[in-house]
Amino acid sequence: MIRLPPFAYRRPTDLADAAAMLAGEGPETRLVAGGTDLWPNLKRRHQQASTVISLMGIQGLAGVEETEDGGLRIGATTPLSTVADHPVVRWRYPGLSRAIDSISSPPLRNMGTIGGNLCVDTRCTYYNQSEEWRRSINYCMKAAGEICWVAPSSPRCWAHSASDSAPMLAALEAEVELVSTRGSRRIPLPQMYQDDGIEYLAKQPDEILTTIYLPATSDAAHCRSSFWKLRRRGSIDFAVMSTATTLWLDGHGRVERAAIYLGAVASFPKPADKAVERLIGEIPTPELLDQVSELARRKATPMDNTDFQAQWRKAVAGKYIRAALREALGMDPELLAPKHQAGGTPTS
Amino acid sequence: MYRWGGCSKLAELTYIGTSPPRPDGPAKASGLSQYADDVAVAGLWFGETVRSPVAHGRLRSVGWRRAAPPGAVLVTAADLPGPNGVQLIDDGWPILAEGTVEHVGQAVALVAAPSRRAAVLAAAEVEVDIEELPPVFDLSEARRQPSLYELELGLGDPEAVLDQAETVVEGEYRTGHQEHIYIECQGMTARWHPSGPRVEVSGSMQCPYYVHKSMVHAFGLPEEAVRVRADAIGGGFGGKEDYPSLIAIHAALLARAVERPVRIVYDRQQDIIGTTKRHPATMRYRSAVDAEGRLLALDVLVELDGGAFTTLSKVVLSRALLHAAGPYRCPEVRVRGRVLRTHTAPNGAFRGFGAPQVAFGIERHMDAIGRRLGIDPLTLRQRNALVPGDRLPTGQIVDESTSALACLESVARRTDFVTRWTEYQAAQTETNGTPQRGLGLSLYFHGAGFTGNGERRMNSPASARLTPEGRIAVLSAMTDMGQGAVIVFRQIAGEAAGVTFDDLEFPEPDTNEVPNSGPTVASRTTMIVGQLVARAVREVSAQVADWWGEQQPAASPYTVKDGRVVGQDGRSTPFAAVARSYLEVHDALEVTVRHQPAPGPVFDETTYQGPAYPTYAWGADIAEVEVDPDTLAVRPLRMAVAAEVGRAIHPRLCIGQIEGGTLQAVGWGLLEEIKLDQGRYLNDRLATYIIPTAMDAPDLDVELLEAAFPDGPFGAKGIGELPMDGGAPAVVAAIENATGLVVDEIPATPERLFAAQMRERSDD
Repeated sequence: MIRLPPFAYRRPTDLADAAAMLAGEGPETRLVAGGTDLWPNLKRRHQQASTVISLMGIQGLAGVEETEDGGLRIGATTPLSTVADHPVVRWRYPGLSRAIDSISSPPLRNMGTIGGNLCVDTRCTYYNQSEEWRRSINYCMKAAGEICWVAPSSPRCWAHSASDSAPMLAALEAEVELVSTRGSRRIPLPQMYQDDGIEYLAKQPDEILTTIYLPATSDAAHCRSSFWKLRRRGSIDFAVMSTATTLWLDGHGRVERAAIYLGAVASFPKPADKAVERLIGEIPTPELLDQVSELARRKATPMDNTDFQAQWRKAVAGKYIRAALREALGMDPELLAPKHQAGGTPTS
Repeated sequence: MYRWGGCSKLAELTYIGTSPPRPDGPAKASGLSQYADDVAVAGLWFGETVRSPVAHGRLRSVGWRRAAPPGAVLVTAADLPGPNGVQLIDDGWPILAEGTVEHVGQAVALVAAPSRRAAVLAAAEVEVDIEELPPVFDLSEARRQPSLYELELGLGDPEAVLDQAETVVEGEYRTGHQEHIYIECQGMTARWHPSGPRVEVSGSMQCPYYVHKSMVHAFGLPEEAVRVRADAIGGGFGGKEDYPSLIAIHAALLARAVERPVRIVYDRQQDIIGTTKRHPATMRYRSAVDAEGRLLALDVLVELDGGAFTTLSKVVLSRALLHAAGPYRCPEVRVRGRVLRTHTAPNGAFRGFGAPQVAFGIERHMDAIGRRLGIDPLTLRQRNALVPGDRLPTGQIVDESTSALACLESVARRTDFVTRWTEYQAAQTETNGTPQRGLGLSLYFHGAGFTGNGERRMNSPASARLTPEGRIAVLSAMTDMGQGAVIVFRQIAGEAAGVTFDDLEFPEPDTNEVPNSGPTVASRTTMIVGQLVARAVREVSAQVADWWGEQQPAASPYTVKDGRVVGQDGRSTPFAAVARSYLEVHDALEVTVRHQPAPGPVFDETTYQGPAYPTYAWGADIAEVEVDPDTLAVRPLRMAVAAEVGRAIHPRLCIGQIEGGTLQAVGWGLLEEIKLDQGRYLNDRLATYIIPTAMDAPDLDVELLEAAFPDGPFGAKGIGELPMDGGAPAVVAAIENATGLVVDEIPATPERLFAAQMRERSDD
């Protein structure tokens, strides 16, 4: 029976206090919001903590509201289900609701928060195992060892990003606010990540993710977005690949701007830049989307570190990218959806 | 939507064929039920299991790494008071590893401590020194080692027919592991009485008397010194048939060492790596058929992966061989089988008990015959299906309730099978990117009750007695793990005795209170023990009524109906009042009856000839799936199921059993896969061992058919395992109908379909 290790637990009610605590405690201090990632990770000894600081007591850190400039402000500790079910999100940012609805199960979406999902730990077959299992093969580098069992000659860890909201929010050009005792800064979401399975967050250790901002120009009146997620079980499962797409069209139906992000194929939400370049200035036809999907697929180079054989994941990645693009443009995605999502569109 | 085919309530019956609420329902739904880990015990300590981290090795030493943690106690094989084997078929399953370790997760040592945390920390302080030896994982390698068991049965001379036949079809079919995933993980609490060598264990189990017997064996105690009680059980599916004996012994070893009650409860990861699973199987079928696809001869080889130890493998193999020829008529049959040994956790009992594996084999093989001869799956099965009077490979003549054709008719009618199957087949080549649809058919049967002479040998008793309150207490060792015995037995007893549910009592399964009416396994609870219950209560009720008639001769004879003793004059008295009067002049009234096998031929266990089961339940499935032509992801849309159950005592629960079993079979066929890397599970938790949820389930349309079995209570047959047999071959056949891809191995994952597609394209 696995149990939490002992640690000091702090629950500040004020953001400045939280930042001061985080700055003042040692390196083994962790933030927690809904706890759906941290508590199991601590139980399984994937992560260690001398102190855990809960953000759930801080006033004003949760909530969804429209901003003066017409965008949307989402507090980091807002439960995932609250974000996905918020009428403004469903109406104006349907791709985000779709992505969040695909995360885990209803109870975990009620507990887990949007900030927590953006910071969720990376995953790997050789890491997400019990303590005894990892010890019995000698720990990998993400778990106190020195080797990467996925790529034994690799100097780095290849654990993959497991967030479903991150690629979608990146494709919606979201920004995040980070607060520390040194002040606050607002950066585009992709800058919060880096391509390393262990140090996957580029934010400073003393920074607290407080807010997610969605621009007005990313809403359904300005662009089209879609999200598709590949998983073994349609109802509840981690992504083995996901694709989030946003397309901004001009009055003639030409692509002015676009974003394609791939989840679970790298340690961060991976942009498909060449594919996006190919789209700009074009009127998207099915043939063009096939070409774009192929360009994006080349960015999806999955390692053998999750469910499904890597060869198969690679073979079908293009189909998922294509489905997201086609669906964003109102075409039949031509992809078999999970049973309960049959015929699902981003707004349904 | 459900249909009740011929399931209507017979006019003269009160309870049979109705669906009253189960008495434990509210407590279970509201969380009040006390499962193994919920029961409060004063002074309880907690046990943890130290397991082998390697698949095979020489165990050099086990001990504390440093000084023993304060208060913690360590138990190893050296501390065993008796033989180091769980009492089962060959007693060869070690209680704790000794000399060698034979699979990852094998129990090597036990620790107990006053809290769960202390127990976990103490377990981490135990050092196990193992010199690794080369392990065997692969069945081709295991074939070169001695088998755990070998069996053979047959009829006629299939080899001679196969040599001469114009059409011989051959195929190899493979099925994988399956984990039970009962909701409640395994758990057991043990305590020794200070006054003497007496021990009591309670927990989550299907078979209190199996645990009892293994405790008596392990500790060398007299039978009356061991008491076993079943708590509320959160699912079993066979997984709590064999394994609870091991945990009970473990808990009792620790409780003896610390002189306090000790509880061991597995978490899900420990449960998955430690406990038994469904045997993976490789099956080779070779058949001779005539031009119409009629079976002329069949030669089958079944190989089961037994894992490291036997547990129940011999009986699983036996049941597999007895079902290997399927529900089909074939004059010349040989079925051989063996259980091979690998360095993986022992495989054991799992709903279906060997039959689902061979049902996959024979059904895929029938589809291979149809493919070769250009005969649709329905017609081929109709030509070969058993009818009353036909002979099984054991020589058993199947009885009047043989319902294979009726089951086929039911599912084919509801799905317009042949027309749509033909259309889908024609559309296979139209891959315009949209999902392809397909239909797949399976026909199956399942022998109810113990295999061979099990019931005859066991000669199970069940008892009924009057309580001081004038109720009838029904005593059996049967457990309710969710299947509904708790209400089905009330219906049977109420109907047989003519009393109401308020006139009945059902003491909890406790070896101090109830007789050994055998294990809750093998689809035997309703059919075999239910019949004992009916006979025992009917006898008690009749004796009370007869005695009342002697007191009131004017209106004699009396009958018992709706809880009242009714005379010829139409006047009646409540049964409880009459029963209390009876007890005023008699000391007690208790009736014990034992299972009586039907007269007629007896199964011969050396030749494997004769009736291996008293009767068979029958089923047919038609699955409809959608397959993405590019990703080859499969979505099961709906399934039509026909099940011939003898008599549905409780149609709602009966359908529930069939729906649940069908989904479990679909999960086994499409999703569930134990992945091993050097004998270590790669997916030992529910985030990675994927089972279907309600949201992934196909729509299930179940039709119950009834052809009464005269020796079952009110005609009922055992059906607990039947629905596990048909789902996997039906969905795989549907994938073939949709795509043309022939898959003979499950789970039929997208990767496996992709590999089949690659093979097919390279063949073109």
